[in-house]
Amino acid sequence: MTPETSARALWIINGLTLLVAAIFLSPVLYSIWMSFQTSDAYYSGGVDFTLRNYDVAVGQYNFARYLLNSVIVSGIVTLLGISFATMAAFAFARFEFRGGNLMFGAVVATLMIPSHITLIPNYLTLARAGMLDSYAGLILPAISSGFAAFFLRQYIRGIPRALDEAAYMDGATPLKVLWRVIVPISKPAIFSMALQLFIAEWNNYIWPLVAISESDLYTLQIGLARLYRVNPGEDVIDWPLVMAASTITILPVLLGFVLVERHLVRGITMGAVK
Amino acid sequence: MLRKLTPYLFVLPLLGFMAVFTYIPILQSVNLSFREWDFMSPTKPWVGLDNYRLLLSTRDFWNSLKVTAVFALISVPLRLALALAVASFLIRETAVSRITRGAIFLPTVTSTVSIAVVFSWVFSTDYGAINGFLKMLGFDKVSWMQDPELALYVIIFVNTWKQLGYDVIIYTAGLQAISMEYYDAAAVDGGGRFHVFRRVTFPLVMPTTYFLLVISVIDAFQVFTIVDVMTRGGPAGATDMIVNMLYRVGFTLFDIGTGSALAVLLFIFLIALALVKARVIGRRVHYDS
Repeated sequence: MTPETSARALWIINGLTLLVAAIFLSPVLYSIWMSFQTSDAYYSGGVDFTLRNYDVAVGQYNFARYLLNSVIVSGIVTLLGISFATMAAFAFARFEFRGGNLMFGAVVATLMIPSHITLIPNYLTLARAGMLDSYAGLILPAISSGFAAFFLRQYIRGIPRALDEAAYMDGATPLKVLWRVIVPISKPAIFSMALQLFIAEWNNYIWPLVAISESDLYTLQIGLARLYRVNPGEDVIDWPLVMAASTITILPVLLGFVLVERHLVRGITMGAVK
Repeated sequence: MLRKLTPYLFVLPLLGFMAVFTYIPILQSVNLSFREWDFMSPTKPWVGLDNYRLLLSTRDFWNSLKVTAVFALISVPLRLALALAVASFLIRETAVSRITRGAIFLPTVTSTVSIAVVFSWVFSTDYGAINGFLKMLGFDKVSWMQDPELALYVIIFVNTWKQLGYDVIIYTAGLQAISMEYYDAAAVDGGGRFHVFRRVTFPLVMPTTYFLLVISVIDAFQVFTIVDVMTRGGPAGATDMIVNMLYRVGFTLFDIGTGSALAVLLFIFLIALALVKARVIGRRVHYDS
């Protein structure tokens, strides 16, 4: 093969690869396109742009409220979850204490525990506490992440202890050492764990399905599933409207993904391969 | 004194919530699985192994076990083979590889409910994309999700589409960790591309394959959302996975005892798998050194 033909072959292969990637994503891309079409245009095969579907999703079906609920719940879960995990990771990485190894073992063991075994008991616990149909009921069961604690503990162990000791010499408390020394150095790891917590909670379905029956507290996932099933008979589904709701549901994560894909991928491969 | 308490205070929030929402619930599930209860009645009489016996005698249980097993048997090898092929094809770090990998990875972070809704449209009988293509080619409509013979394959397709990116990322990391020396040695031996793949790449990436194998089997036994949105376990139980049955028994039939028994059985099975995984991870460290 001459250099010229191999260069052309490379162009063709690259072009085909990108085409396959586009086809792979086409259902989602098309659903976004469809969400901006009028129902009439969609069902007759024409093209007619409109924002009406979003208007209806927000005005008639309360999707602005669901969006707010999702932001609040995922935001608080991420904030509390990453704080608790970082604090525990710091203790496990830096302190020798009685029962410490056992506790760390208990944290790591949660990585193996399938969450469905807790579904019925957690429902009962929150019912007894009167916390079904509340933000607290969505948030509290989701804020202890064994994986984040384990991952951050490994990361913190890689930070030289001399840095802690210098700070202690200056009279810092453990909390200050954590906040001023460990957290700034661990920022990339903390960020990538926080991302994973946020995405997992944003997309959480089965727990809100169980814990929430009041429609004002639906998250986007529940709202979308309900909207899709309002009329299960196929010919009465308003597909462009459903796709507008679906786009509202995926867009925040989609936009975030474009910005931080590398952090995400790094966090996942570090977690799996290390 | 305070110094001694410090680490306990740091781990307290995490472990406190873990105790309340993970560890105690496991014990509660085991306890409830030996009782009869419907969420309402004031007493929860002890019935011994009755719930387990009842569960094992229902057709629903064996059906959902079969459906889940078929799902795992088809989707796991499919995922791994596709992912290894894609990861090998995109192994060089070019802009095109990175963009394509990004595109394939995107569904893994996208809402499962949205994906299920979008593919409900793709496979819908009257307005779906697939039937649209078939019509263009002159074929009849197919009732993808209403046909008990086909519905499970639709679910497998959608789940594979969603999860593939994760496997590709892990395989890419595994492939890139293989030292170039092995390839150089194979090149000296004069092996063709397929020969190199079979003799060098495949065996050396085996630990990654084991890891993904166990992960994806564990995943398969926890599928819920796609089925709940697309088919609700139907038609005629053809897509009724174990967790969908668990949800139905616990939260629509309010049979807490039987639901808990099912949860305990699933728990034991998945813990056993997870222990296999832990051993595999222990071994993979020594594989290439």
